[in-house]
Amino acid sequence: MHALPHGRLTWQKRRPPDAVVFTCLAAAALFLALLGFTLILWVREAWPAIRAHGGEMLTSGEWFYRHQHFGALAMIYGSAVVSLLALLLAAPVAFATAIFISEWLPHTLRPWAKAAVEFLAAIPSVIYGLLGIMFLRTWMADWLAPFDPLSGDMLLTAAVLLAVMILPTVTTFAEDSLRAVPAAQRLAARGLALNRTQTIHRIVLPQAWPGMIGAALLGLGRGLGETIAVFLIIGRLDNRLPESLLDPAPLIEPGQTLTSKLGGPETHIAMGDPLHWGAILTLGLILLVLTTLFVSLGNLLLRKNPAHP
Amino acid sequence: MIPTMKSIPALATLLIAAIPSLSVAETLRVIGSTTVNPVVAEAAEVLREEAGLTIRVDTAGGSSGGIHALGAGRSDIAMSSRPITEADRERYPSVRFDSHRAGEDALALIVSHDVWQGGVRAIDREQMQAIYERKTTNWKSLGGPDRRIAFFNKEPGRGSWEVFADWLYGKAENSPPVAHPEVGANEEARTKVAATRGAVSQLSASWVDGETIHALAITGDDGQPVEPTHEHITDGSYPLNRTLWLITDGPPQGAAKRLIDFIQSPRGHEIVKKHGYLPPM
Repeated sequence: MHALPHGRLTWQKRRPPDAVVFTCLAAAALFLALLGFTLILWVREAWPAIRAHGGEMLTSGEWFYRHQHFGALAMIYGSAVVSLLALLLAAPVAFATAIFISEWLPHTLRPWAKAAVEFLAAIPSVIYGLLGIMFLRTWMADWLAPFDPLSGDMLLTAAVLLAVMILPTVTTFAEDSLRAVPAAQRLAARGLALNRTQTIHRIVLPQAWPGMIGAALLGLGRGLGETIAVFLIIGRLDNRLPESLLDPAPLIEPGQTLTSKLGGPETHIAMGDPLHWGAILTLGLILLVLTTLFVSLGNLLLRKNPAHP
Repeated sequence: MIPTMKSIPALATLLIAAIPSLSVAETLRVIGSTTVNPVVAEAAEVLREEAGLTIRVDTAGGSSGGIHALGAGRSDIAMSSRPITEADRERYPSVRFDSHRAGEDALALIVSHDVWQGGVRAIDREQMQAIYERKTTNWKSLGGPDRRIAFFNKEPGRGSWEVFADWLYGKAENSPPVAHPEVGANEEARTKVAATRGAVSQLSASWVDGETIHALAITGDDGQPVEPTHEHITDGSYPLNRTLWLITDGPPQGAAKRLIDFIQSPRGHEIVKKHGYLPPM
């Protein structure tokens, strides 16, 4: 039988919870209570719409609140396409940057590079949105002119802007998981006459890989939740569902995401009408479920890295 | 005294207890239309300097956003570029909507420079309906350039949209369910139409600069195009004219009354004119 962790047990027995422990417990309880309260309030307000239109919301793409149609599928499609595409664009650049910072950059420069990357993450998203309106919209419209888009407001523009926005998040987390591979292993690889490229290939990447995927998923969660920047350049066109999920044509057309809908004036109009208001809050719930899914998965993978066995 | 660890909970309790006493001086909350906003914002600035009033002006949700905020008790005055409707009264039966005229404005149908240069200078109601319902999709059929029509719809709920839909379909409720890319605040409509080829949208006429965006004349049943000029707003010949409103719950009192009285005074009229609108008639 295992020996009891004797010291710890006596410590717990002898001393009553002091002020620090008490405060921490109280804060944690308050946090949980707030979270629970928010969720209960949220679901309760959304309930009229879930009861009346729950199924329709997930299967229909028609949203006309004046006619009591609350289909969210086109928005779910918009959110999914925009954030996945953003990730697809951002991840290769972010991974390459992370590898460069972690494996090539001299020790002395590394903190500076990290600080620069994290500075990018701290820029308020409305700034990205305004830059998007001023420059990116026009560039994209000109660049894609052969395909004759109606304007620069399109899913693709939103995806490109979002890619720039999640780039620092993915880079910094990916770099962390590369750094978490112990330096001793790199030294050992050097001792076995592997060069730097081979070390990265054979030793570092295989171990850091889950963490890097985790970083990407955190970026995806970040992208799904982004509101204002997307709102300004996506065009906010309701009810545009493609014939096929692989059809690229909708990418150069305007669309709507869950967040751009929630950021619009309909939230103000919906207040006071239980059904409409509930439908708006249900959009939020759908977003919450999607984001939680990706972020938890990302955290799970990040924790799998070798520094935290 | 340096607080010890043990006193932290006590301190926290004290802090929480102290929060209510920190409440700020009473603020007049004005929410609504981006069209009315420049006038109210400037008047609020003047009253803050001269009378020490604290007025917070916000354009969340446009006209309808403002009316709903007033109905729900989240604001003291709603700015609106559309009148109160039966639906508003039904929704908030306990609210006594009291509307005050702040000015007169025309809603313009604006086009981007290339459309204007391409020869489109006027439009009639049927043509606009066809664009709205996506039956007309190229400017060529309106005598303009061979270019797709990029229609940016003002977000439903915006005062401009309600006025536009009332004109187009008799009553906004009769408008067919269509989906267009949407624009919200006036600033956004102006920027996007200016930066997009073949663009058309709805915008308050006083925001039109005549260089990057242009206001189309509206052709009436007699075939005469009427431009959205002050003259045509005054004589009522321009069909998309509208009153800009300040709306309260019951007769305005205190700071709300001072703000409304100021905007309706000769000095207030100067501010209204400065922003391109006409003083109330």
